[in-house]
Amino acid sequence: MIQTVITQKAKGNVVIANSIRTKMYLKGIAVDKFTAISPDDPATMQKVREIAREFGVIV
Amino acid sequence: MAIKTLSIKGTDSRDVARQAREALAEFQPKLLLFFASSTYESPEAALKEAFPGTEIIGSSSHSEYCNDGYTSGSVSIMAMDAGSVEDVCVRVVENIGAEPDLRDVLDGMHGYFGGVEEILANYERYVGVVLFESSAKAEEIFMDRLGTVTDLLFVGGSSSTADAGQSLVYANGRSYSGAAVLAILKTVNGYDVLKTQSAHIFSERKLEVTKSDLRSRILYEFDHRPCGEVYAEVLGIGQDEIQNYFVCNPLGVVAGEEIFVRTFNQIQDGGITLHCGLPEGTEINVLKIGNIVDDTKKALDEAIRTPPAGVINFNCLYRTLEILNEDQVEPYCALFGRYPSIGFSTNGEAYLGHINETSTILVIK
Repeated sequence: MIQTVITQKAKGNVVIANSIRTKMYLKGIAVDKFTAISPDDPATMQKVREIAREFGVIV
Repeated sequence: MAIKTLSIKGTDSRDVARQAREALAEFQPKLLLFFASSTYESPEAALKEAFPGTEIIGSSSHSEYCNDGYTSGSVSIMAMDAGSVEDVCVRVVENIGAEPDLRDVLDGMHGYFGGVEEILANYERYVGVVLFESSAKAEEIFMDRLGTVTDLLFVGGSSSTADAGQSLVYANGRSYSGAAVLAILKTVNGYDVLKTQSAHIFSERKLEVTKSDLRSRILYEFDHRPCGEVYAEVLGIGQDEIQNYFVCNPLGVVAGEEIFVRTFNQIQDGGITLHCGLPEGTEINVLKIGNIVDDTKKALDEAIRTPPAGVINFNCLYRTLEILNEDQVEPYCALFGRYPSIGFSTNGEAYLGHINETSTILVIK
């Protein structure tokens, strides 16, 4: 879900992708802590959904 | 020459503006950026009178940098003509403590240049500068909102003051308190943004912020335990000693290779106040401060491979005080003397978010 937000928002621009990753860290999402096989954390998922909505990204 | 830098001491603001006009007699600046000691009254009005056709932005300052010089009681000016900055759009957001929605402001700024598509298509040429008046203490929320409504990189810092005078930011002949000045520059040859904090990871142990008040910048708990207790545990010191380590061992949000420093203020209300709020859920590391001159040289040398048109240094006031204390002003300033450069001692730095104890640097190619 986190990677989807970054990919959709960056639209292929590597600089923007890196800045989105950093912005998510600063919003309290430890991006690298989560992988595709990480167990679902409802609180984090809700936070990522809110960030996605702010960014205008559908997840 | 596309960029000129000046360091001026005058009897008053009108004298500073007169000297600047003389020094730039044959030069037609598109944008004039200045950092004026807060001892000067209304420098913005005097400069606007001297350069009526120029976009002018600036900030009050505790102390100023220009090329290889460090001064106080002066005005550092960077004048950029159409050879380095093709166009610029300046907007002021007032009352930032009320957490205004920035979408309309940024839509307008994007629109000035032809819209978001134009900016994204020429992304390497567009960069933002943000100057905060620091009394609002709302920079982290503002930067978060700004980063939500634009993909442009904004770099800058927060105003400071000398012993006398008021903390202010300036735009086009007016001064503002509790405001942010935004400028989007369309550069001719591109730009680089760099950030150096001379802080390194002290402990690999990740601490999760489990209780905090972001807006009041108070930290209460790491990993569901009192933050002071955990901080002392990481450092291997007694809890009654932690204040002695606040300056040398700040906190950092580590995002990949980048460290975003958060410095301590004081123990208060059962928590510790910071100079930048931390949202709950954030993972942080305890840091240790390194050598400012060595780390700054490394950062500049890695990023600047060809002579730039100009360099703007937003250097934390803590760092200025540290290099003064360590008698490192001359070697520090020599690093920036290699380029046309200006800077000032900031009360907080901006790049993707609000940062402490850092130098954020805009390199105009």
